[in-house]
Amino acid sequence: MKKKFHNSTDLIQKVFHIKGQAIVVQFVSYLVDRERLEREILNALTSSPKRWTNDTLMNKIPIAASECVSSVDQITQKVLHGSISVYIEGEKEAVIFALPKLDDRGLNRAETESLVFGPQVSFTESLNTNLNVVRWRLDTDDLVMEKLIVGERIPSEVRIVYLKSMADKENVATFRERIKNLQVDQIEDSSVLGQLIEDSSTSVFPQLIFTELPDRFCNSIVKGRVGVMVDKSPTMLVGPMSLFSFFESTEDLYMRWNMGSFIRMLRFIAMAISIILTPMYVAALTYHYEIIPSTLLVSLGQSRATVPFPPVLEALLLEILIELLREAGARLPTKVGQTMGIVGGIVLGQAAVQAGFTSNILIIIIALSALASFTAPSYLMGTAVRIIRFPMIILAGMWGLVGIVFALSFLIIHLLKQKSLGRPYLAPIYPFQWRDFNDSLFRVPFQKNSRRPVSTMPQDPTRYNSSKAEEHKDVKSP
Amino acid sequence: MNIHIRLNPDKAVHAFYVFFIIHTCQIGAGLMGVPRILFLEAGVDAWVSVLVTGAYMHVLVLLMLTILRNYENTDLIGVQMDLFGRWIGKGLGVLYILYIFLLLLTVMKNYIEVVQVFIFPQIPIWLMSAFMLILMVYSILGGFRVVVGTSFLFFFLTIWLVLPVYKPVTFMDWKHLTPIFMSSPMEILAGAKQVAYSVLGLEILFFIYPYIQNKKKIAAAAHAGVFFTTILILLVTVVSIGYFSPDELKETVWATLSLFKIISFSIIERFDFLAVALWMMVIIPNIVLFGWIIIHSLKRLFSFPKKPSLYITALMLFFFSVLIEERIGINFLTSITGEVGFWVVFVYPWLLYAVLLLKKVFRKGNSNEKMDPN
Repeated sequence: MKKKFHNSTDLIQKVFHIKGQAIVVQFVSYLVDRERLEREILNALTSSPKRWTNDTLMNKIPIAASECVSSVDQITQKVLHGSISVYIEGEKEAVIFALPKLDDRGLNRAETESLVFGPQVSFTESLNTNLNVVRWRLDTDDLVMEKLIVGERIPSEVRIVYLKSMADKENVATFRERIKNLQVDQIEDSSVLGQLIEDSSTSVFPQLIFTELPDRFCNSIVKGRVGVMVDKSPTMLVGPMSLFSFFESTEDLYMRWNMGSFIRMLRFIAMAISIILTPMYVAALTYHYEIIPSTLLVSLGQSRATVPFPPVLEALLLEILIELLREAGARLPTKVGQTMGIVGGIVLGQAAVQAGFTSNILIIIIALSALASFTAPSYLMGTAVRIIRFPMIILAGMWGLVGIVFALSFLIIHLLKQKSLGRPYLAPIYPFQWRDFNDSLFRVPFQKNSRRPVSTMPQDPTRYNSSKAEEHKDVKSP
Repeated sequence: MNIHIRLNPDKAVHAFYVFFIIHTCQIGAGLMGVPRILFLEAGVDAWVSVLVTGAYMHVLVLLMLTILRNYENTDLIGVQMDLFGRWIGKGLGVLYILYIFLLLLTVMKNYIEVVQVFIFPQIPIWLMSAFMLILMVYSILGGFRVVVGTSFLFFFLTIWLVLPVYKPVTFMDWKHLTPIFMSSPMEILAGAKQVAYSVLGLEILFFIYPYIQNKKKIAAAAHAGVFFTTILILLVTVVSIGYFSPDELKETVWATLSLFKIISFSIIERFDFLAVALWMMVIIPNIVLFGWIIIHSLKRLFSFPKKPSLYITALMLFFFSVLIEERIGINFLTSITGEVGFWVVFVYPWLLYAVLLLKKVFRKGNSNEKMDPN
């Protein structure tokens, strides 16, 4: 054992001589609950009147998580995961008691996917805590949490979470097979696992949802989707997903349906603005002056009169400025980041216009499209939208409207080709499922929406009895 | 080669999409210029010609489905092989592919010319055809599902272009449409033939038939698609005749696009620029579907692997589109394609049907063998 640990002082080996028996207790000092170790194991060991055998150890010591293990490798593994091994001289096997003590940060408010209204808790890095939260939210025996171990050098635990009577078996099997077939030495995070098992790694669009919100995770699972949890990671994977689910936020459900629908539509419009607005400006000013109404053309011309660059260069310059600001803001500590935004946004923007680098109108357009790209509830989707803007701007600068239409067509065909866990990415638009529009592009009232989206292939598509949904039984006074 | 196509149900699509496939296949470059050529032939009664062609197309859909329903699950290639034997069938298949190739080339050339005339005189031809071919290759590489999806989505992305037509409608002079029934029946038929040129693409039904899941519903979807095409052409023709004066219309090569010229919004002054650029999205389903027919038929006829034949087809289209330079060339190409297409799409099915009936009678006389050659 000592050898396995390279004689580290972390491994504590204590030999007790009780009634002529030599008992070896081994554990890693900071991985186990010392208090319980002393109270429940050592106390019992030393105070017992009888001689110990493995049987009596298993039966007498009041710790439920115990087992007999014979190979040294396995013992090492267990000890590394916070177990205590007790070996009695003469026995073939050692008894392992699991008494792990993990330090984690406890449940906190969600940071990357913050909600104004609704549950605030987010997942943590500890799988145990996360499993606890999920079980607590979905307290049914229908919930399955399959355990898999991934990583050859540094193994980590992966759980496939789904509802047995709801999730499509094929989806579960796809997840299981893809994870099992992985041959990696280590998984850094669930997002790395996600990238490894995604359908297309060349696309800029994420194909699985990465979420840190337990409510979002559990809602998706109840809809028949399949979730994956990875130890040491606070983000969970959910699949199969369609493009539109990346623009859904659980907040839409908590708000009244009309507000929810409005905000959802707003996000789609924001994406369109974010992708098209700057390229349109570039195309119109480079080639198609005729498109711009004459009244606007005057003010545009005035603001661009001193700008020495072609519109493409001007737009790219500002876009990169905005990206720099965003990146700097993300890397800096929160307190400095605030100042950074003001300095960058106001001072740089103002100065750039006064120095004649850019036009005022372009600053408005760029700011608008940057703002729009931040409305995506999924951080990865927002990033994807920002990235596809750059080729669009360049194409617009080179070939005007034709370039934009080409880029858009390419984008749409690209999206058509994508799949998530082998399921179409553009559902419910293609393949067309009118019923699924209820809870993807719009958010209709719950009373009208008695079915689960069938694009995720739930085994039971009905949510509740739709005929009774609208009845409200009021108690009438006699 | 096996006449019947066996495929796993995953690859098949719902009959609902037949509407979009047929419609997007028919509407393309032809719609841009149809009012003028129609007016030149049939005059004020051009709308009658549209209705005549529309009615004929419904008959044609019926005929095509009748032919196909005599078989278990096959396409035109299979039908030809069965009716004319192995070698003649293959030869006819090659001719059909050549015709589709010609059609594809015509569509591309016409659109490139429109772009050059309307918005971008200096855009090189090779660039435009590279744009379109890249999209074609990219879409076809995704398989039949993506091809159908392309036609479905691009239909919705472009169909709203009909809405701004309300503006020319308000400027219409209904007197331009009178007096009615002044043209002779021959003129109307000549006009109908001109309409037929612009709605080539109906033949796609012969090729997608095996890939549709619920065969019973195909008829409804196909008729709806043809009907919608007729309505669109009728709308464009009537509005153009009403909006332009007769002399003006004779000079306006792309009357449909010119209709967009007076449309302006508070943020977009010249809508026709946007419309012409967006028309690429009308063209793309055409190109993708025709390209799919070529690749698919080559695979069926000679078991060519799909990827190389796709690349080679795209390269050939690219070179041909660059080589044919002048307007004369395009006019010549268009009229040839129109003429060939008329015979291939609108007449040839009757021949097929006649041979089919003959063969049926012949087989019945010989023995009580079933139609199914397997």
